[in-house]
Amino acid sequence: MPGSFVSPLLLALPLFGAILVLCTPKSEHQLHRGIGLAFTVLTFLVSLLLLAYFRPTLGAAQQVFDVAWIPGLGARFKTGVDGISVWLVLLTTFLMPLTLFATGKGIQKNVREFVAALLVLETGMIGAFVALDVFLFYVCWELMLIPMYLLIGIWGGQRRLYASIKFVIYTMVGSLLMLVAIVYVYVQHASVTGTYTTDLEALATVALPHSAQVWCFAAFALAFAIKVPLFPLHTWLPDAHVEAPTAGSVILAGVLLKFGIFGFLRYAMPLFLHGAAVLAPYIAILAVIGIIYGAVVAFAQDDVKKLVAYSSVSHLGFCALGIFALNSQGIGGSLYAMLSHGLTTGGLFLGIGVLYERRHTRRLAEYGGIWKQMPVFAGLYLIVVMGSAGLPLLSGFVGEFLTIFGTFIAGDTFPAGWPSYLPMPRLLAALAATGVILGAIYLLYMFQKVFFGPLDKAKNGHLPDLGRGERFVFIVLAVGIIAMGLFPRPILRTMEPAVNRFISDYHRHLAEPDGPAHVYGQPPPGAEPVDAEPDDGGTPTARADGAAADQVQADLDRIALGAAQADATLDRGAADGRGLGIPALDRGASP
Amino acid sequence: MSTFNAADLVYLVPMLILMGTGILLVLAEAFYSEGPDRADRASLGTLAAAGGIAAMIAAIVLYRQLPSGTELPLVSGMLVADRTGLAMTALLCGLTAAVALMSPGHQREHGWQSGEYYGILLLIASGMVMIAQAGNLAIIVLGIETMSIGVYVLTALRRRSRRGNEAAMKYFLAGAFATGFLLYGMALVYGAAGTTSLAKLPAALGSTTNPGLVVAGVLMMVVAFGFKVAAVPFHMWAPDAYEGAPTPVTALMAAGVKTAAVVAMIRVFGGGLGGDVLPYGTLGWASPMVVLAGITITVGNLAAVRQDNIKRMLAYSSISHGGILLVGIAAMGLGADSARGAVLYYLVAYSITTVVGFAAIAYVGTRGRERLAVGDWAGLASSKPGAALAMTIALLSFGGMPPTGGFVAKFYIFKSAMDVYDGQLLWLVVVGIVNSAISIYYYLKVVTAMYFREPTGPIATTRDPGLTFLMAVGAVLILWLGVMPGFWIGLGT
Repeated sequence: MPGSFVSPLLLALPLFGAILVLCTPKSEHQLHRGIGLAFTVLTFLVSLLLLAYFRPTLGAAQQVFDVAWIPGLGARFKTGVDGISVWLVLLTTFLMPLTLFATGKGIQKNVREFVAALLVLETGMIGAFVALDVFLFYVCWELMLIPMYLLIGIWGGQRRLYASIKFVIYTMVGSLLMLVAIVYVYVQHASVTGTYTTDLEALATVALPHSAQVWCFAAFALAFAIKVPLFPLHTWLPDAHVEAPTAGSVILAGVLLKFGIFGFLRYAMPLFLHGAAVLAPYIAILAVIGIIYGAVVAFAQDDVKKLVAYSSVSHLGFCALGIFALNSQGIGGSLYAMLSHGLTTGGLFLGIGVLYERRHTRRLAEYGGIWKQMPVFAGLYLIVVMGSAGLPLLSGFVGEFLTIFGTFIAGDTFPAGWPSYLPMPRLLAALAATGVILGAIYLLYMFQKVFFGPLDKAKNGHLPDLGRGERFVFIVLAVGIIAMGLFPRPILRTMEPAVNRFISDYHRHLAEPDGPAHVYGQPPPGAEPVDAEPDDGGTPTARADGAAADQVQADLDRIALGAAQADATLDRGAADGRGLGIPALDRGASP
Repeated sequence: MSTFNAADLVYLVPMLILMGTGILLVLAEAFYSEGPDRADRASLGTLAAAGGIAAMIAAIVLYRQLPSGTELPLVSGMLVADRTGLAMTALLCGLTAAVALMSPGHQREHGWQSGEYYGILLLIASGMVMIAQAGNLAIIVLGIETMSIGVYVLTALRRRSRRGNEAAMKYFLAGAFATGFLLYGMALVYGAAGTTSLAKLPAALGSTTNPGLVVAGVLMMVVAFGFKVAAVPFHMWAPDAYEGAPTPVTALMAAGVKTAAVVAMIRVFGGGLGGDVLPYGTLGWASPMVVLAGITITVGNLAAVRQDNIKRMLAYSSISHGGILLVGIAAMGLGADSARGAVLYYLVAYSITTVVGFAAIAYVGTRGRERLAVGDWAGLASSKPGAALAMTIALLSFGGMPPTGGFVAKFYIFKSAMDVYDGQLLWLVVVGIVNSAISIYYYLKVVTAMYFREPTGPIATTRDPGLTFLMAVGAVLILWLGVMPGFWIGLGT
């Protein structure tokens, strides 16, 4: 398969860099940063190859690298990307060099270990995004934990011991229950087919009993909900963020939280469609609570970092709401919101790092009138803040709009049995929209407290503006935020086939509730033939043209413009599943 | 047919090497000077390690010769040569060599030089190997006694240490009690079956007219082995014995004795009492084992959370790991084909991890300060990054974090438990996994101390090439077991 070498190379590069940096003398801080930067930049350049080889019409995983890993257990080293993961990998490889570059100076002790931890973390993150084998995914998922724990614990703030342990325990509890579910599916697959394998595609062909699906989904959902974090499970996040060094916060918010949403979309939902159908309404409600709760609590913070941490709870609530709208607008919007959140929140934390390096405080009350001292920083930061708040023409808007729109028409999320006097999807969409307003309020409040007003604190009188390097980082981020706001199509277009693949699986499940999660090569009636293109390589560019391009155009129009017409088609598809024997899934009074 | 076939001796070479070296070491001790300042016995340690490694190599060579699935009866069926036995022989010999390498530095530092120590160590090893290759209940008892009596002596070797004496006494009493149960249980089974040969037991038990005797006997054996692997509620001796014994001996108890006891269970329960021939099926012993496993994992873990002494913490954690091994044994009894391989893999991963952990403890402690409290390890990473890294890898492996051997081992055991018909052991898997999450807390307490806290003063360590070697090689092995476990999976089957 063309490009299959890219993803294993992406895994190997940072790991090799980490080993290399550990072999250098301890005191050569410049050298450590140089190696780290070189390897992260190299990884980013290699990750661009993913795009170069990407066939945007294919819904299934592509550029697949597949070798046997542990034959005795049936685990494979199988990696590859689809329209969903390719952008998240790029986000990761894009943020890493920026983070290292921007935060390098703030770290003075154990620089070698710091760079090594970040590089190992990058391997883990890329691995978890590109893994197509559950075992490999789990290994990479846990591999992320230890470097992050070290980042918080060694280079963190006052209460770092508490925060690091809390972070690990929260994550472990969730992920170990996920392990039970993984083992369960794995053994079930073996009892049906006779072969042990942890290959994700193979596991998706097993039709599990409905009750088991709900339990397994719940186990996965716990792991991912902690990571997102969803409302009642979010308490580790503010602690971890506040205590982590700037680099840790950026990576934590920029990439790590995305694994929650990504995990739902890649593992929990496709493997356990019935579980997803049953639990979707509850998770959607928790997501909305998270949106509003996060926003309100963020507003009450005096610590800038805590404010941004809670804003992540709120923003990730949008992402979770979007995927549980269970339609292409919601899921596409959620993915887009994740990418945007990676840039904007990464930028917000980097900006806090800039301020903290100069003033050594994070209290809002200590700032004020900084604009006069740091005009360049203020201007660039304004773009980041506005992008985060969801101002139209900036990146945040596209994702949040599509998410709310998807929720508004989310007929599949709320089956019958939910009170018909509450128009649930619309209610949730309305509440989520309130979250956007609240988001604008707390972010602008924060911006105003820091940058506007009189310059009345003596210590703020001589703050140097951004240096050349910092300026570069913020300009790159601002350009990214603006570009994503102006031209969402290229990204949405590549996501579309992968999203539709899931949606068509879901509709097949509604039509045929006892079937397997995924059937290869047979798209259900009415669904787009997302798997139809053979994987044998050949001439990808030639195939991508022609009819497929029309399809892309159609998808594009639908998702980017949110045409009600296309939505009607989707709704019809869902409606076909109505009354086919699963009362729990028959939709009630929702539109 | 009690014929002695000279060709059988080939498969006994590992055991013979251990016994020969052991006797040689006891004799050699006679040539060293006696007195308050005993000469350094390091050379004896080297010889002991060489004996262990030679036996391990012999076992590996034999293992590779023996085709998969064959089971050769040796000396009229008293012993057997099969892949399980030889794989475990290799592991046990390797562990013996590791303990021998760990000891000279610790003896010198803490002033308990003793030459008998190495002789007894190798004789203990020969007892363990006897268990691994046993084909008869009598040999199981013989092996267990050879091993146990030696370990009692080693525990008490620091004669001036009150804790050491207390530990040895407790260990001895509990062990003697267990042996009583074991012999009585075996006698009852023999009464019902008329044979003590593990190969003939299934058929003999199938046609027994006295099922009551079998059930009573089997339950007594469960109790006896429960003592040996320190399963709750038969674990009371373990924390004191682990804490009181010199660190290398603790490593031997945690890794070697536990491995040997579990292998004995595989032999007895998986072999002689396996299959569906009992009146009550294998459930005769599998259901109490399941309950025992659940309690052991949980109690061991919860007790470990409260420990501040690292040796004691590892003692409780070792109890909990014993519980997970019992999950595998129970799964084996309930018909999961993969369980034997899983238990063997777990033993390999767990033993190597234990060696690294105790080597690090021996390395960090000195005569002036044994550094057993978690707080004593504060800031180790800044002055001794290598040792801290090795200890971290070991602790992560204990906790079952990827990419270490401990993770694959747990995955494998839980997979085999899930293989049991109809998901009967699902709840046990959940118990085991929830406990893994709890265990991360106390393992990370040590990591936190090493990496996140500032040292309270300069850290002196026991400089010894053996300890350094063990930590380095062991850590690499743990990672190998976790990253490329393909080679180790299916070991012994």
